Amino acid sequence: MAGVTNIVLIEHSFLLRSGVESLVQEIPGMLIMEVFDGSEKSLFEKIKSKKPDLVIINPDSLGESFIGVISKLQVEPEIEVVGLLKKDCLENISSRFKHKLITSENKHVLLDSLRKICGTDGPCEKNNQGPISKREIIILKEVVKGLTNQEIADKLFISIHTVMTHRKNITKKLGIKTVSGLMVYSLMNNIIDINEMG
Amino acid sequence: MLIVGEMKLSDIIHHDYTLVPVINRFNIQLGFGDATIEEVCKTKNINLGFFLTILNTFHDSQYFPKDYLKSFPATVLIKYLRKAHKSYVEEKIPEIKEMIQRLSELSSGNKKTLDLISNFFNGYSNEFGAHIEREEKVVYPYVLKLESSIDESGNDKSMLEEMDLYSISNYEQDHEDIEEKLFDLKNLLIKYLHAETDEPRLFEETSYLLLRELFVLEKELREHSRIEDLILVPKVEEMEKLIRIRN
Repeated sequence: MAGVTNIVLIEHSFLLRSGVESLVQEIPGMLIMEVFDGSEKSLFEKIKSKKPDLVIINPDSLGESFIGVISKLQVEPEIEVVGLLKKDCLENISSRFKHKLITSENKHVLLDSLRKICGTDGPCEKNNQGPISKREIIILKEVVKGLTNQEIADKLFISIHTVMTHRKNITKKLGIKTVSGLMVYSLMNNIIDINEMG
Repeated sequence: MLIVGEMKLSDIIHHDYTLVPVINRFNIQLGFGDATIEEVCKTKNINLGFFLTILNTFHDSQYFPKDYLKSFPATVLIKYLRKAHKSYVEEKIPEIKEMIQRLSELSSGNKKTLDLISNFFNGYSNEFGAHIEREEKVVYPYVLKLESSIDESGNDKSMLEEMDLYSISNYEQDHEDIEEKLFDLKNLLIKYLHAETDEPRLFEETSYLLLRELFVLEKELREHSRIEDLILVPKVEEMEKLIRIRN
């Protein structure tokens, strides 16, 4: 799964809901887009209209409509279904879920399970790592000389859109947002000489 | 936790000690015994509704100060904001400058890195100073005038004219660049600070103190601008409406 993993949570207990929310918050790139308490009418349609990547369900919240909802969700190819289950959950219910979160587990086990289900160790974090590329260094030099995006585009024969993409990536990788901050970084790392400054 | 007047101030500080500088701004010093917030306000002659609003806004980033908004005059709010500004300009910023200076003294040989950081922070502090000055010279006098013309309930003509020239809705939202610079400074230290030193222990300790000050300042400023956005601006909008309605 690339980018953000969107989650729909079905849980009627306030405490469990808050617990799942605080877990998800710890994983970059995961987001709870909607929470249902399980009593909603035509719940399956409501879930589907959100186009989630992941649906976390506590069967207890659904009661009698559980079988109906889960059977429809299981045949949706785009949606992964996760059971939020008690340790002693009945076999005929727990076997309905490919992925499980057991409520009595400790935090790190739960986080690990969630990350595995998502198929990544935090997509956002990894992508932005690594040093900036040669091309980005060329752009960076022009930025700290005080050139505007348009001027850089003209000088390097690239589109202004490309310049902006490079700038976004530079800021993400370095963790520096302002031009004067980038200037300090460049001088500190000898990317640019003080005499080159415009 | 919602802070209310019947609670003991000492319990509140146990729960969230970062409120100490905030209560100091109300001229309350430590050593208040078992007094409740209400009692402290009475002895110190502090507007209770306003005090609670400020405490809750600082303490809980989800708090939305709707209920108390009408219970205090803008004069009280502006007095507080001015006092906060003063503590940033006269205490916080010079303290941070001094720590950067100390790091520079501790580094041996080429001081380029720390000179660069020092210049960067000076740039930040000038920009910050200019921002504060604009608020104190333009925004606050406007707000105070608005309030006094409501109280006098006399001729609003000149006030209306002034409202046409300047209204709180043009209140500049230029906190952003200033916030970003502070963020950058933290990263320059955390990710990119390389310096040679003959006194690594002292250098490390000072870097940590500096970083901690930056985090504290960042939080303070974030809450400060929340107070401006959630309390000052709605309050003034209300006053502007009142003047327009009666004319």
